[in-house]
Amino acid sequence: MSGALLIVALAAFGLVTGAAAGLLGVGGGIMMVPFLTLVAGLSQHAAEATSLLVVLPTAVVASVVLHRRGVGDLPLALRFGALGAVGGVLGALLALALPAHVLRILFAVFLGLVAIRLIRDALTAA
Amino acid sequence: MPGSPSASVADPSPAGGERARLDGRLVGIGVSGGVLSGLLGVGGGVVMVPLLVLWAGYKQRSAHALSLGAIIPISLASVVIYGAAGKVRIGDAVALALGAVIGARIGATLLARLEERPLKLVFGLFLGAVSILMLVHG
Repeated sequence: MSGALLIVALAAFGLVTGAAAGLLGVGGGIMMVPFLTLVAGLSQHAAEATSLLVVLPTAVVASVVLHRRGVGDLPLALRFGALGAVGGVLGALLALALPAHVLRILFAVFLGLVAIRLIRDALTAA
Repeated sequence: MPGSPSASVADPSPAGGERARLDGRLVGIGVSGGVLSGLLGVGGGVVMVPLLVLWAGYKQRSAHALSLGAIIPISLASVVIYGAAGKVRIGDAVALALGAVIGARIGATLLARLEERPLKLVFGLFLGAVSILMLVHG
């Protein structure tokens, strides 16, 4: 994809991803990484790194909006997130050292099971 | 969303039996979200939200908001590590972020309005789709 077109495509995809991220409470990396590797042609590691740099402002903006509306507890979130950041450093170092195929599959299975549980809850719970 | 309003549409009052202080579960959720975030290059929300709801007992909406807040320090730390390794493509990130910050306002505003059940359903479908895609692509 050529320069200008790629920028427009990235911004448009960012808009959709950001909206989904703000609604779903995720950073959006799970959508951006495949896009960056498959469409923009980045390597897996470059895609992950670039995605994280987009996740940061996305989470900041969404958190400010929610904090103003009194949803959630931002100070608490920042505190347990700071501890999570220690885990993030370990995870990133690990990712740079190994290919994560097995973990990826385990992770996918975990997500699938959670999905089934949440959908069942949403459809049955009164 | 229009369904039975009889199911007491509890708004996410932080007081409603939800943890308001840092405890072992929140620490565990933060760290596991952080490790997966750094490892897989995702924000970590995809693992923190389910744990916050199913393990720590938060309402879906509060969990989404907490997850987004926790992602701030987590992604900051991860991006520093990746940045130090020279992997970040700044130009691509800026282009994506231009759209993403606008989208984030839209999504967060919608989150503040949606009710518990549709939110659970949407998140569940999202996770299901992610799971299938990850299994297919390995």
